[in-house]
Amino acid sequence: MSAAATTLVGAKPRGRVLGAIFMGYLLLSLAIGFALLLWLLVDIAATGLPYLDQALFLNDPSADPAIAGARPAILGTLYIGALLLVFTVPLGVGTAIYLEEYADKERWYNRLLELNIQNLAAVPSIVYGILGLAFLVRGLGLGRVLVAGAMILTLLVLPVVIIASREAIRAVPGSIRQGGFALGATKWQVVWRQVLPAAAPGMATGSILALSRAIGETAPLLLVGALTYVAFNPSLLDQFTVLPIQIFQWTSRPQEEFKVLAAAAIIVLLAILLTLNALAIWVRNRYQKRW
Amino acid sequence: MSAAERIPGVEVRHDAPSESALREVVFDVEGLTVAYGGKPALSGVSLEVYKNFVTAFIGPSGCGKSTFIRCFNRMNDLIPSATVDGTILYHGEDLYGREVDPVEVRRLIGMVFQKPNPFPKSIYDNVAFGPRVLGLKDGLDDRVRHALEQAALWDEVKSRLKESALSLSGGQQQRLCIARALAVEPEVILMDEPASALDPISTTRIEDLMDELKREYTIVIVTHNMQQAARVADMTAFFSVEVDENRDARTGILVEYDVTTKIFTNPSDQRTEDYVTGRFG
Amino acid sequence: MRVGFHEALDQLEASLQEEGSLVLRVLRGAVTALVGHDLELADEVIAFDDEVDSRYFAIEEGIQDLLARQTPVATDLRLVLAVLHINLHLERMADYCVTIAKLVKLAPDVAGDPTLVEGFQDMGARAEEMIELAMDAFAKRDLAEAESLVELDELIDRANRRVVQHVLSLGSDPKLQEWGLRMMIVSRCLERIGDHAVDVGERVAYLVTGEFREFTDASR
Repeated sequence: MSAAATTLVGAKPRGRVLGAIFMGYLLLSLAIGFALLLWLLVDIAATGLPYLDQALFLNDPSADPAIAGARPAILGTLYIGALLLVFTVPLGVGTAIYLEEYADKERWYNRLLELNIQNLAAVPSIVYGILGLAFLVRGLGLGRVLVAGAMILTLLVLPVVIIASREAIRAVPGSIRQGGFALGATKWQVVWRQVLPAAAPGMATGSILALSRAIGETAPLLLVGALTYVAFNPSLLDQFTVLPIQIFQWTSRPQEEFKVLAAAAIIVLLAILLTLNALAIWVRNRYQKRW
Repeated sequence: MSAAERIPGVEVRHDAPSESALREVVFDVEGLTVAYGGKPALSGVSLEVYKNFVTAFIGPSGCGKSTFIRCFNRMNDLIPSATVDGTILYHGEDLYGREVDPVEVRRLIGMVFQKPNPFPKSIYDNVAFGPRVLGLKDGLDDRVRHALEQAALWDEVKSRLKESALSLSGGQQQRLCIARALAVEPEVILMDEPASALDPISTTRIEDLMDELKREYTIVIVTHNMQQAARVADMTAFFSVEVDENRDARTGILVEYDVTTKIFTNPSDQRTEDYVTGRFG
Repeated sequence: MRVGFHEALDQLEASLQEEGSLVLRVLRGAVTALVGHDLELADEVIAFDDEVDSRYFAIEEGIQDLLARQTPVATDLRLVLAVLHINLHLERMADYCVTIAKLVKLAPDVAGDPTLVEGFQDMGARAEEMIELAMDAFAKRDLAEAESLVELDELIDRANRRVVQHVLSLGSDPKLQEWGLRMMIVSRCLERIGDHAVDVGERVAYLVTGEFREFTDASR
């Protein structure tokens, strides 16, 4: 009787201690990461809040921190964001559809394409900058304009969109396609009416996340010609600047107030990014499919 | 060879509902062989499928019965490595003829799959998908209703047509898939193990449905549950696996095809006897 | 649910009841032929047995089909098995009637013993009654009715024993003696028909209760 009791009662004490230590390590990692992030946010907020006012949004930059604003930079960021969506979504989604639905995976050129996309996602952003400079600004003769900046960022985040879209398409079960075919639908009808609508939320999430990454990019834009001092509203074919660059510019100024301004601008940038990410998460949760 | 001669041991009973002379042939299969990447999965199958009959394919796993049924609506076309030799005549026309459009084939010969696969859309949109895709836009509401009634699902869903199809139970989802197939007004309905993912009551419902549907449609089912074949099928075909030790090949072959009663009371082939009595397989 | 299966079961039962009515006709025919020494009627009875036989085979086939394909259980299974046995009993009853008819033809053309002949009429009526009661008990699944068959059978049994006594007292005319012997067999046939009717009743009891049970043991 007692033998049975002991076998039921407890795991070996050694196992338990190790388990506790491991758990402790996990919690510590979580805490450190969390704490750092929290400290960063709190620090920025505390620093930047004084200058988070209308002037920031409405005024041009100026040598006088009291009246300096980041309007052109904010507009630049927004325009680039919009252009980015217009460029990447059709290209990225189209490529993903081709690769997943139409390409014969055995062919060498498709395998090459596959490999390249994975590689492209790993290329450092500054390389894209150089590329942009060489081919778009000088090669095509576009000059150092907004469109060029948008185009180069497109290339930067395209692999991300492609990969996310492919995942979304792959997540659509084959049984749905089979069901569509069995009813007499053509390949195109199955893709357009079943696969795409089902994959759309995943694609949207991927695109939004790609966008939020691009908005934070600085190096390629610098190379493509974003100026550090822009005091006018940019248009598509104009010279331009974006928020990260404006922040960089302000932090390199000696006056203390510019540092505060920079912090305020960082708050704006963070707000934009967090909103985009929240949107992506909301889209994903709302349209989560149960198969 | 006439149909009656090809089917061994078919006696024409004086009270049988169908005499061999009255049976209309829907599919005439001759020497059908299907291979995947050169390796034959199914070899030399010949039989006839009759109109308004329920025909069942039974046999152990790997005997090629699912491969076989997918030949009837050219779903094997979707598998690049699959090759089909031999002929299947559909009302005398070669199903794999050069001029034949697989899309048209699938409109006339519908399919229901093993695991219910409703589209992630509303119930209405699921049933309406087929007609829409084929350009049959008129009277869509009536079509949907009629299809759901035929699938014995209308009463359960009529008040929630706009709800997601995924909110239905497994048995209801399968009936929805049947309604979906019926909406395009096919002649034949193929069912690949339609009830194997369902509970016993849903299974009985589907079997009852088959009994009703066969008045208007021709039904072919694959089932690994031979009792199910005994219950629902008019004709039963028993497939088995032929193993070629030398080339390490396992090929499916047709062993016996006959009236279901014969298969289950006095089969002609010993292999059939062994299988249905459970002594092999 | 399983409408086809239940319809098939109902049809089987209906066929069996039909067979029961056929057997009644055969019995009446045989007894009438016996009482009226009607040789033509006897021939008709013998020919009519083919009808009963074809019913018998059809029902057997139906049972085989149902068992192989529908795997009946519980009450359905007991019903099928009951039908199987009752079918056999009915067919045997018809066979006995044929035997009676053949004996009518074989028996010498003598006046016979009127008391005995009257007795046969009664036995025949009793047997008829038992068959009707048995089939009715089956239709209604009535256990009491089925059990009441035992008493009726008792009457036939007693009548059968009296026949033996009577035949022994028929006298020494060889033709009359032959006739008497033949009539003993006729009596035996009628008694066996009664026994089969009781057997049908036992099958009804099995169907209702699920137990295998003889109504009486053989010693009585």
